[in-house]
Amino acid sequence: MMYRIQAIDSSQDITCAARRLQQLSREKPLATQLILDIFDQWAAALDDRGLRDIPGLTFLRLWLRRGNLEPIVLRELGPSALNGGWREDGRARLRAFPLGVVGHWPAGNVEIQPLLSLTCALLGGNCCLVRVPSRLVPITERVMEKLHKVDSNGSLSERIFMASFNHSRTDLHEAMAKTVDGAMIWGGADAVAQVRALPFPHWTRVLVFGPRLSAAAMDAETWGDRTDRFSWCRRIARDVWQFDQQACSSPQALFLERGAGCDPGQFVEDLKQAFQEENRHHPRQQIEPALTSAISLARASWLLGNDANRALFPASPDWTILLGTATEMPNPTQGRTLSVLVVDDLLKVISSFDGTLQTLGLGIKDAGKEEMLAIAAGRSGVDRIVKLGRMHVFSSPWDGTELIRPMVRFVRHVPSED
Amino acid sequence: MSGLVAIEQEIDSLLLQPPYGVDPEQRRTSLLALLKKELAYACERSPRFRNYVEQWPTDFRVAESISDLPYLPVGVFKANPPLTLTGSDQVKRTLTSSATTGQIPSRVVLDAATARRMAKGVTTIIRDFIGPARRPYLVIDTSQNLASQAEVGARGAAIQALRAFATEVVCCLRSGQNGDFSIDLNTLLACAGKWKHSDILVYGFTYIIWTQLVQPLRREGITLDIPNVHVLHSGGWKRLTEQSVTRDAFIGGVASIFGCSADRVVDYYGMVENVGVIYPDCAHGNKHVPAFADIIVRNPLTLAPVEPGQRGIIQVCSVLPTSFPGFLLLTEDMAEVIDYDGCPCGRRGISFRFAGRVPKAEVRGCGNLGNTRHHQLQGVGVA
Repeated sequence: MMYRIQAIDSSQDITCAARRLQQLSREKPLATQLILDIFDQWAAALDDRGLRDIPGLTFLRLWLRRGNLEPIVLRELGPSALNGGWREDGRARLRAFPLGVVGHWPAGNVEIQPLLSLTCALLGGNCCLVRVPSRLVPITERVMEKLHKVDSNGSLSERIFMASFNHSRTDLHEAMAKTVDGAMIWGGADAVAQVRALPFPHWTRVLVFGPRLSAAAMDAETWGDRTDRFSWCRRIARDVWQFDQQACSSPQALFLERGAGCDPGQFVEDLKQAFQEENRHHPRQQIEPALTSAISLARASWLLGNDANRALFPASPDWTILLGTATEMPNPTQGRTLSVLVVDDLLKVISSFDGTLQTLGLGIKDAGKEEMLAIAAGRSGVDRIVKLGRMHVFSSPWDGTELIRPMVRFVRHVPSED
Repeated sequence: MSGLVAIEQEIDSLLLQPPYGVDPEQRRTSLLALLKKELAYACERSPRFRNYVEQWPTDFRVAESISDLPYLPVGVFKANPPLTLTGSDQVKRTLTSSATTGQIPSRVVLDAATARRMAKGVTTIIRDFIGPARRPYLVIDTSQNLASQAEVGARGAAIQALRAFATEVVCCLRSGQNGDFSIDLNTLLACAGKWKHSDILVYGFTYIIWTQLVQPLRREGITLDIPNVHVLHSGGWKRLTEQSVTRDAFIGGVASIFGCSADRVVDYYGMVENVGVIYPDCAHGNKHVPAFADIIVRNPLTLAPVEPGQRGIIQVCSVLPTSFPGFLLLTEDMAEVIDYDGCPCGRRGISFRFAGRVPKAEVRGCGNLGNTRHHQLQGVGVA
């Protein structure tokens, strides 16, 4: 039987599901080792030709592997977390217990986000109530189908309740909020503000992954090096293409540090070729007309704004490279529109970031310089500093916060007898 | 300047042609040649426009169709100062669009020649729909919009564009103290009595006609009994759609107030940036383009022209403006192409139907930032 996400129309349905999950989380604890085993099997089952069209699926497969998750569990929950035991803490002992039921409000722009979000809470031993955005229902069902197959006795699946309902149904959002002990909220400014305003009980721990922007930066030694340049351009194209540049980790601008004898014009020609290549492999299947308008306006405004500015783009809205100079993050257009901005000093630009920036993708040849830039970025509010081409690799910490630990309680036990 | 003189002569000769009688291929060939000259002229006049055109994926000089020529999105006319191809001393009028609250209006500048062609363009089009005769002109608006000013809004521009058909002009709304307006019933009834057997031209914005004329008169049970009227209206359907007023309900309501047949109520599409060109509905409910203009409906995914029966974003093309680069504009409106020729009304060339504004993108995803932290702090006076 196909896995179906329930279309919910009554708050009663949500309350009943939450009550069942609450009971499960108290009465049927699940060993972390077993969760990791099931995730590992799920990852293997997702290696299916029929699922390859799902954006981000390759990443989800890698994420679910034991080799990836086990170190995260160990780092966030401590070495005893794998066997569910206590760990010594001086004269006391510590042990992670689940919060109970964690509600998930994933964003609608990242296809695999409902799944990424729930895996974090499940690893903490929680049960999950997930509101799946309507656009993501078919994809999520296809992926969950594989979990059901590998988890034949339902020990993990029974801890997940996925619901679909219209985003304007405040009554259902409220019903969900009232029943959860933890909440993981992802999305844009309006969506996050609306979910945060829901009537969560006072004990609910709320973890927000709100709207952010991301950028990339390269030093002249890297972008000016003709040998490696095209492979860097491919990495940038990959980062731009994933999630159609709508994700918080999508680069909206690339800052190129000026260098003697390095021609940004030649660099963007290589970048154009990489964009064309990426577009051939991953052509857009649909677009909102408003985005087409925004892309056309971004191209025109850039070129009309300064006759020294350049732009490369095809007749279609498929991709756009805007080349010029600026020292601040431009307003993002999204839709595969990358501003390539030549700057005198990367350190100065990075130091001016204001906490809006989540991820900084870097291509820097000199390790000492990268160290300096990483510190400046951290001070300026950047939460992730990664190599270009890996800007979307979901890992802990994300947005400067851990992913499993916030959804567990660390119980401190001081034995009554010395 | 000699280049401009030659361009102006070509525009004037196009304005003399029957607006809807030219073979589509022949029209497109002559428009393509003229638009290329206008683009070259605009590049000479504006280094920034030249920068845009030079970086267009194809060279306009070798383009084989109008759809390959570089076009501007209408949003660029929201820039201040407005995009211009003429010296400030040559500017005769500035037209502004009707922006809703919080939006920035578009602004386009007209020199004397462009303003003259604008009037001529509208007259040529309207004449084809209502005939050439002058007649009394009833404006469903206030008299403030008749005043000749340096800066004219969309409503004022639309009202004034029809004055060429007027033997006398009467405005039947009066302004209130709070900036609102209401129907001047005495004036309206006096006109109705005086013009009962005459040909009459009426114009108003669609929502103003509905809220200020049809609804109040219906409430009072008044009809005007002017069967020989032509009621032209424009300005879009957004506000009426919000009130669940359908197109048929609007036309029926207006026709019953004036006591005329429904085919005398004519909706037209237009925008200030597309000076001198409007697109009235023909008897078959389709819109057409005159000899001096064109329409391309572009697929949002590819920006290529769509096939008949498909919808897309409207690009308007006009040879009329020379004071600003408004020859080829990608609008923020959608249309469906009915056919590329052969409308039963007899008008040649593309026929299309307006399909609303480009829907606002659904704000979705973690990359959609409401505000930056610096801006937030500046907003409360901290940074």
